[in-house]
Amino acid sequence: MLCIDRIAQWISASDFGSEGRGLFRGIEKTRDMASSSTSLKRREQPISRDGDQLIVTPLGAGSEVGRSCVYMSFRGKNILFDCGIHPAYSGMAALPYFDEIDPSTIDVLLITHFHIDHAASLPYFLEKTTFNGRVFMTHATKAIYKLLLTDYVKVSKVSVEDMLFDEQDINKSMDKIEVIDFHQTVEVNGIKFWCYTAGHVLGAAMFMVDIAGVRILYTGDYSREEDRHLRAAELPQFSPDICIIESTSGVQLHQSRHIREKRFTDVIHSTVAQGGRVLIPAFALGRAQELLLILDEYWANHPDLHNIPIYYASPLAKKCMAVYQTYILSMNDRIRNQFANSNPFVFKHISPLNSIDDFRDVGPSVVMATPGGLQSGLSRQLFDSWCSDKKNACIIPGYMVEGTLAKTIINEPKEVTLMNGLTAPLNMQVHYISFSAHADYAQTSTFLKELMPPNIILVHGEANEMMRLKQKLFTEFPDGNTKIMTPKNCESVEMYFNSEKLAKTIGRLAEKTPDVGDTVSGILVKKGFTYQIMAPDELHVFSQLSTATVTQRITIPFAGAFGVIKHRLEKIFESVESSTDEESGLPALKVHERVTVKQESEKHISLQWSSDPISDMVSDSIVALVLNISREVPKIVVEEEDAVKSEEENGKKVEKVIYALLVSLFGDVKLGENGKLVIRVDGNVAQLDKESGEVESEHSGLKERVRVAFERIQSAVKPIPLSAS
Amino acid sequence: MGTSVQVTPLCGVYNENPLSYLVSIDGFNFLIDCGWNDLFDTSLLEPLSRVASTIDAVLLSHPDTLHLGALPYAMKQLGLSAPVYATEPVHRLGLLTMYDQFLSRKQVSDFDLFTLDDIDNAFQNVIRLTYSQNYHLPGKGEGIVIAPHVAGHMLGGSIWRITKDGEGVIYAVDYNHRKERHLNGTVLQSFVRPAVLITDAYHALYTNQTARQQRDKEFLDTISKHLEVGGNVLLPVDTAGRVLELLLILEQHWSQRGFSFPIYFLTYVSSSTIDYVKSFLEWMSDSISKSFETSRDNAFLLRHVTLLINKTDLDNAPPGPKVVLASMASLEAGFARDIFVEWANDPRNLVLFTETGQFGTLARMLQSAPPPKFVKVTMSKRVPLAGEELIAYEEEQNRIKREEALRASLVKEEETKASHGSDDNSSEPMVIDTKTTHDVVGSHGPAYKDILIDGFVPPSSSVAPMFPFYDNTSEWDEFGEIINPDDYVIKDEDMDRGAMHNGADVDGRLDEATASLMLDTRPSKVISNELIVTVSCSLVKMDYEGRSDGRSIKSMIAHVSPLKLVLVHAIAEATEHLKQHCLNNICPHVYAPQIEETVDVTSDLCAYKVQLSEKLMSNVVFKKLGDSEVAWVDSEVGKTESDMRSLQPMPSAALPHKPVLVGDLKIADFKQFLSSKGVQVEFAGGGALRCGEYVTLRKVGPTGQKGGASGPQQILIEGPLCEDYYKIRDYLYSQFYLL
Repeated sequence: MLCIDRIAQWISASDFGSEGRGLFRGIEKTRDMASSSTSLKRREQPISRDGDQLIVTPLGAGSEVGRSCVYMSFRGKNILFDCGIHPAYSGMAALPYFDEIDPSTIDVLLITHFHIDHAASLPYFLEKTTFNGRVFMTHATKAIYKLLLTDYVKVSKVSVEDMLFDEQDINKSMDKIEVIDFHQTVEVNGIKFWCYTAGHVLGAAMFMVDIAGVRILYTGDYSREEDRHLRAAELPQFSPDICIIESTSGVQLHQSRHIREKRFTDVIHSTVAQGGRVLIPAFALGRAQELLLILDEYWANHPDLHNIPIYYASPLAKKCMAVYQTYILSMNDRIRNQFANSNPFVFKHISPLNSIDDFRDVGPSVVMATPGGLQSGLSRQLFDSWCSDKKNACIIPGYMVEGTLAKTIINEPKEVTLMNGLTAPLNMQVHYISFSAHADYAQTSTFLKELMPPNIILVHGEANEMMRLKQKLFTEFPDGNTKIMTPKNCESVEMYFNSEKLAKTIGRLAEKTPDVGDTVSGILVKKGFTYQIMAPDELHVFSQLSTATVTQRITIPFAGAFGVIKHRLEKIFESVESSTDEESGLPALKVHERVTVKQESEKHISLQWSSDPISDMVSDSIVALVLNISREVPKIVVEEEDAVKSEEENGKKVEKVIYALLVSLFGDVKLGENGKLVIRVDGNVAQLDKESGEVESEHSGLKERVRVAFERIQSAVKPIPLSAS
Repeated sequence: MGTSVQVTPLCGVYNENPLSYLVSIDGFNFLIDCGWNDLFDTSLLEPLSRVASTIDAVLLSHPDTLHLGALPYAMKQLGLSAPVYATEPVHRLGLLTMYDQFLSRKQVSDFDLFTLDDIDNAFQNVIRLTYSQNYHLPGKGEGIVIAPHVAGHMLGGSIWRITKDGEGVIYAVDYNHRKERHLNGTVLQSFVRPAVLITDAYHALYTNQTARQQRDKEFLDTISKHLEVGGNVLLPVDTAGRVLELLLILEQHWSQRGFSFPIYFLTYVSSSTIDYVKSFLEWMSDSISKSFETSRDNAFLLRHVTLLINKTDLDNAPPGPKVVLASMASLEAGFARDIFVEWANDPRNLVLFTETGQFGTLARMLQSAPPPKFVKVTMSKRVPLAGEELIAYEEEQNRIKREEALRASLVKEEETKASHGSDDNSSEPMVIDTKTTHDVVGSHGPAYKDILIDGFVPPSSSVAPMFPFYDNTSEWDEFGEIINPDDYVIKDEDMDRGAMHNGADVDGRLDEATASLMLDTRPSKVISNELIVTVSCSLVKMDYEGRSDGRSIKSMIAHVSPLKLVLVHAIAEATEHLKQHCLNNICPHVYAPQIEETVDVTSDLCAYKVQLSEKLMSNVVFKKLGDSEVAWVDSEVGKTESDMRSLQPMPSAALPHKPVLVGDLKIADFKQFLSSKGVQVEFAGGGALRCGEYVTLRKVGPTGQKGGASGPQQILIEGPLCEDYYKIRDYLYSQFYLL
């Protein structure tokens, strides 16, 4: 048993190092070059190529915007950040490249915020793949996630085959999603992670993951600017080793908030004053709430506008108001103070609009409608009917994904294609005023300079913008210690981290601190990525594990005299001690200080021992022996001589065996004078004394070989002494 | 060696007094909890006053008076100035609790231990953490990490885990392992083998906790029984702690039964409390957050409960049977006391206590068995001064003012003389009267009216009065006056101004009535009279304290099985009982220090760190056991380049070691395993397991609590020689790992 165990250990040990799963085409190999000049609390890392491999592979959002999904793997732990859908595609084409990974190996999936391009493929991933790890998101994200995706399923008009998931899948996924609060540290399979405020939308988080001391920060979408209701993204307390950061805005610089707000309100004010209509195609949640706050306040300050209605045509946004009203703790102090008096999300001048049928288009109005990309739905309907009138205006309030109509009209083409396939002139004014809460270049570079991560991986940005950002960042970090990478989808970035494995020796083993050359033996307990070495009998003290001793007691029918057993045992085992049982006064034997043989009654003896492989073996042989005696009992009296004879016979047999084996080894073996065996090999002669094992030969090589061979044969045919004890 | 840890109780040992403990870790002093009782007995704080200035950090566990009541007083009077750490709900609800305490007191006495401002100041700088947030202390506490974890007793209630160098001190008092409507159970059981556990023995002797369903049924039956006969029900409750659970029970029950009896929640801060609680969903139980996530139903959107903030509203409420939840639970002050006195003599009424009253309070007196027939109650009331008193008061005020003015003018005169020529001081006399310490009954006010006149008493010196004149001291350089560019930047805040409504109180909102009470500066006085109240109403006590009972406490401690245990906060018998129990069953180091007695619970654990070399680790194969992995290592000590000890593989084969079986066998689990393998298995007497026909298996030796200090398990398997025996032995071996 022991042997098999050991072999199994060896077999699996040889497998141990082969981590590479052939899935990843390494393209960029990076050495870990932790600089000593970095700020905060980074541990020094020696420059070395060996170490554990860390792989980061974008499955989506690699040099593109949309379907964020980044895979990372380190020391056997696999993490997926975000699980989005590409808004410009539909069906399977919109998914991240999930077939690049084995979903069942993913330990943790972390969702940063509720936007479609960060969370919408989650129901698919949870319900339609082999994924069985754990999913985390913040409270607010989870509450909105369900509403948003249910709406998404309803709105997206695709054929049934193209449907990635239905409402039921969303509901089922809700049970699997776990919530995490900001700053709360969660540990799963040794992976520690926690999240920081990201500022992008309500509940948006940046995740910091710590695997065996290597820290990875995934920002998701973030903004370092505080706005009307959200806090700015926090600066993490610790510097990460790798920062996976969004690059949506590239090298652009945002206008300051109040200029943007003024442009926005000015456009609206002048348009409605001239009798025009304003269409604001916006994503239902996130920036829409910010815009509504601006509008409501502007209307409150301009009584002349009170007769002009503002609508937000999004039942979804209406439903989500309760969430906005509840999670004020995730918002900034300004909102929390306002909340003290009245709920800022109960608007006084803005009313909801359920569908276009309820909308009486009879004069100037301001309508905020979904979807933001003008792909279909209410915003498209309104756009189609308003686009040819030059009094009207359309304000694109944020970043638009490539391939959507909203992106197209920013370039002000002469004509647009309507939903019914006809073309119409585009006369309405189109304004692009970005309220998107993505960090701009200034924010990104300051953020990175504060953190000084040795490795930066850019994701979530258009390829060209990303390259420009990369170039510009290089100029910011000229010392060459910072690696900036821009992997495309499915391209892996490999890095090596030499993480030392430190163990703590505790308890009795640590009473004396050992010097070089001493041996340390004990049980090594690994929990997560911490190691402890302790003495086996203290296992239950320092860990949740415990040790056990299994005492076995077996009774064997035996009717003969106990003395016989003793006699036989003494012949086979080196150490047999006699004693008497204290309680019953019956005789007992202790074999090799392991197994106690006791006479229980006239007809039974019992064996008792404490389990371990050797004792089990000893006891088995005792059992065999006792059974043999039982069988032989009737003969013993009669065939005393036979026994002697058989011993002689045995002797002869042994001789025969030895002879046969020697022949098979050396070929020419003869029985010479005085009982010695004469062995001839290639003209050399050796004489072997069978009794003493002495070999005489002039050829030393042969002499040695014969001696060894004879020793081995001897040990094979004669009983083995129990030396292991 | 280990991190030095000392524990010194400052209050709340060997009795049920408020909690306050000093825990010092490597010289860094934590004050954990800073409680006071409803009687505001300053003598209880004496031990605290001696050490207050040495404290480096304060940790708060629950938002009630017993756990944080003394914070404002200690900050103001005792020189406590350390940063305070608490969860968001503990901070908010704690603040509201203190407001309620203050306002209730102020109404009936000349309460002067602390003011609303003191409360605000104390809570202003609380550093708010979320559950399981590992907060690395800055500065002196470098290396110490603190983290609050779910305690289950009150909203936001925390057990604190303090770690340094991997050794943990856990402070867990008043935890509840049972899930409730609005709270999850504690996560205390997830911490195993901390170096030190500080816990309370409060409920050590309390065992017969009824099942939740039955208790709720009794609770609601009792209430409805009294309502149906036309009686009123009073529940004396705390301000913002356990009352939340009661509100939910009532709310739920009322919706189910369609009751029309009104429920009133009456404290000085009730509406703020519920408003805040509504935004604390992420701190509540899974079921509450789940229901919000799926249906956006906020559990604290109370439909059947009316929130009241003064008693007049209750008096104006339509007559008829009603349920009133009012503070304070101790009946020492607050609306509950007034209502009790009014309702006590009607046998139809019910006063339902949901927690054991604090020692020495009216509530405790009423909870004694048999309940007293009569109680003597001192009722105090603040009344505005009228008639002669008012005239006398005003005269007194005027006299004081005149004296003040005279004194001020004298002072000013002297000052002007002394500082003749220096204009800077000339504005000072204008503020002389803002000090209103002379105020007899603590009301300020009329003094302000005359302030302008007071300020302009002509000085008797020869210097003519003049307005202060300031020299323009601006500096110039070659481009002109040096300016501060920041002054000319359009601030973002300007845009927000429109939305910033006037006077939003940053530190927490007060209800209007509260505000009016604060601003009410009419001269008033407190009158007291002693009443004998006949107690003919029913008095019932039920356990809604939300604390684990004795049995659970014991199994919880056994599960956590700390290396050292410190017991606090319980009457002597309970402390002694739990101490003996733990000594016998759990761990050999149990301490129950007296007040101001310092116990040293520094861990005597030996430990050193070694590096595990790659060579060694590549030969080690771990076996997975639960969430940890184990392996046997034989190694030789070497040195790394950085002069650290490292373990290298042995140069030669190691001597064989005694094999160890690792694993935790549970007989019941094993039984299931065997039957799944098709073995006939049943329990025989004495915890033995009969497997097949002949083989029996049992655990022998000391069967202590799981994971306790009982040593390795002893398992005995016996049977006659037969095939079954070996089969079952193999199954048994399969439950263990052999190392």
